[in-house]
Amino acid sequence: MALLEVRNLSKTFGHHTVLDGVDFDLEAGQIKSVMGPSGCGKSTVLRCINRLVEPSAGTIVFDGKPVTAARSDLLAIRQRIGFVFQNYALYRHLTVIDNVTLALRKLRRLSPRAAADRAGAELRRLNIDELAAQYPAELSGGQRQRVAIARALAMDPAVLFFDEPTSALDPIMAREVGGIIDRLRRDNVTVLCVTHDFELARTISDSIVFLSGGRVRAEDSGDRLANDYGDPHIRDFFTKGRTSP
Amino acid sequence: MNLAEIFLTLLRGATQTVIVTILCSLTGLSVGLGIAIARRLGLIWLEPLFVTFIYVFRGVPMLVLLFIAFFGLPSIGISVPGHVAMMGSLGLIAGAYLAEIFRGALAGVQHEEVEAALAAGFTRWQALISIEIPQMLRMAVPSMVNEFTTVLKYTPFAYTVGIPEIMKQATAAVSTTLQGVEIYAMAGVLYFVIYRLMLVCVRLADRHFTIPGLSSI
Amino acid sequence: MNLSATILPELVSSAPEILRGLWSTMGLATAITLIGVVGGILVFYLTLSPVPLVRRLVQGYISLLIGTPLLIILFLIYYGLPPLGIRLSPLVVALIGFGFNVSAYNARFLTTAYNALDPSEREAAAAQGFPPAQVFRLITLPQTLKLSMPALTNQAIQNVKDTSIVFLIQFTEFFSQMQEVANRTFRFLDSYVATGIAYLLLISIVSIIARMIERRLSVPGLEP
Ligand SMILES: Nc1ncnc2c1ncn2[C@@H]1O[C@H](COP(=O)(O)OP(=O)(O)O)[C@@H](O)[C@H]1O
Ligand SMILES: [Mg+2]
Repeated sequence: MALLEVRNLSKTFGHHTVLDGVDFDLEAGQIKSVMGPSGCGKSTVLRCINRLVEPSAGTIVFDGKPVTAARSDLLAIRQRIGFVFQNYALYRHLTVIDNVTLALRKLRRLSPRAAADRAGAELRRLNIDELAAQYPAELSGGQRQRVAIARALAMDPAVLFFDEPTSALDPIMAREVGGIIDRLRRDNVTVLCVTHDFELARTISDSIVFLSGGRVRAEDSGDRLANDYGDPHIRDFFTKGRTSP
Repeated sequence: MNLAEIFLTLLRGATQTVIVTILCSLTGLSVGLGIAIARRLGLIWLEPLFVTFIYVFRGVPMLVLLFIAFFGLPSIGISVPGHVAMMGSLGLIAGAYLAEIFRGALAGVQHEEVEAALAAGFTRWQALISIEIPQMLRMAVPSMVNEFTTVLKYTPFAYTVGIPEIMKQATAAVSTTLQGVEIYAMAGVLYFVIYRLMLVCVRLADRHFTIPGLSSI
Repeated sequence: MNLSATILPELVSSAPEILRGLWSTMGLATAITLIGVVGGILVFYLTLSPVPLVRRLVQGYISLLIGTPLLIILFLIYYGLPPLGIRLSPLVVALIGFGFNVSAYNARFLTTAYNALDPSEREAAAAQGFPPAQVFRLITLPQTLKLSMPALTNQAIQNVKDTSIVFLIQFTEFFSQMQEVANRTFRFLDSYVATGIAYLLLISIVSIIARMIERRLSVPGLEP
């Protein structure tokens, strides 16, 4: 059984149907990207999976447990899903190290000492241990993103979600993100990455889910998707849609 | 006296409350504007005076200032009517706060527009009166309104100097009827209504005077 | 100055009462400030309630208390309740009256700060698995407090000044002791000017402390 099963996921905001029956699986250890034109509902997919946004219909099963069931232990499930937001959403009143240790101390109930050790290890893994005492406002975009990744990884998540990890970065930093995610692969981290950056999706992903018009149009490797795919939505995306963010 | 009659006396007091509010607000507005203009015109030698004035009138409690004016000055032969004492305490306090508000708002007036006016042959004074002050006032509206409503909320102390406003009428009525809860609640509602009316007036005036690109509320 | 020299003997002989009055003023202002902050946080928390009726009621409370003079509340409790058989001491009345009033103001300051916050940090905390109460306690509240610090400290300074009105409900504090001096010496101007100077000193000290606390608590990126 897959780590994450998304079945018939639908979401309507008011009269605006954004997702209209989305299906895909994510296996443990896999790195999968969700691509598609801007506004097609990629971020909404991620938010529906951990119910930051309440799905209108469909089922999500995470590690054998139904997320969408009324009596699911949502908070416990969320603790196992690391989420790196598009704008990183670091807690700006806390230093870098406190950002990373907060959930360890308050949710995992680790001692301050144990939490700091655990967080320190993550900061070293991402080469930002010298930033520990800084506040988020003092960091560059790339540094903030690494802190966000460290904050998510510190909880030993079963899967790591990225929402547009390259959109706020300059091109050089953007390539580095690919490197970071590649390194996570070696540590066997499962990743679900939402992006409109095809270069990123192609280099990091085992497979790419292509989303358009509220549905999954195809799931395939990046090279095959880019080379004159049968579906007109996908061809459009790679001919004209790609440059728009 | 039944409560309906008492309500009428409170209502009569409301006229005085409004008068005191207006007198003190106007005092504050003149003083605040005066200081703002003098500062803008670069009258630096007056600055120590302004700084001291603002420091004192923002630091000393209103009731102490009122007592200095109303009970203190007569002891050296200067008799001060109640309304004047209110203007000299609450009004000047509002002036001190408004001076600071105007200073901030004036800093937001664009220098280019003033220079353009000067280049077009305006005198410094004309530029100030016809361009800077109007712009500044529009930007300062929210803080100014806040200050005027604060004035309203400090007017009840006028009863200590014998002005027959809402509070005075209420305490008089309570001393004869002992219906303190009802009477003070009515008085409170009356103040609240005046407060809301002030806000409504300001919103209407603001809509009337508003200029695209010069935001206030 | 010969003005103050003339009330000096009286000031000296009344020094114990005056100092006790000053102490009462400080104690009352401190208590009001603490109650106001705790009450303000409570009221602010209720403005975030998922229940619309609760939000409406709390908004009404804030609006009503901000729109009504403090003195009315104090008089309503102190002079209104005894005929109904409820007799509270001036101290208790002051704490209750100021408590309700200052809580409403503080709640409004906190709400203003809250509206300026980036909601994505709350979302991130929810995504980490924090329950709503912890999101409030660990993220929303500390950020709102830091952002509204200048408004809250200004309110604290205002509280010190506003305690000068409690003699009107028979609470003996600094101002009422100075009125005693005035009544005994008949030197009203000297006494009240001396009172004003004392308040000015007190307010200056409190302001300096307030600015120190603000600086201490400020964090880059959360400057008010
Ligand atoms: N909370 C919301 N309320 C209403 N509409 C929303 C909300 N969140 C997203 N949408 C709409 O859903 C659509 C998809 O949004 P999103 O998932 O952010 O797209 P993407 O991430 O693919 O760019 C957009 O049209 C957006 O306006
Ligand atoms: Mg998005």
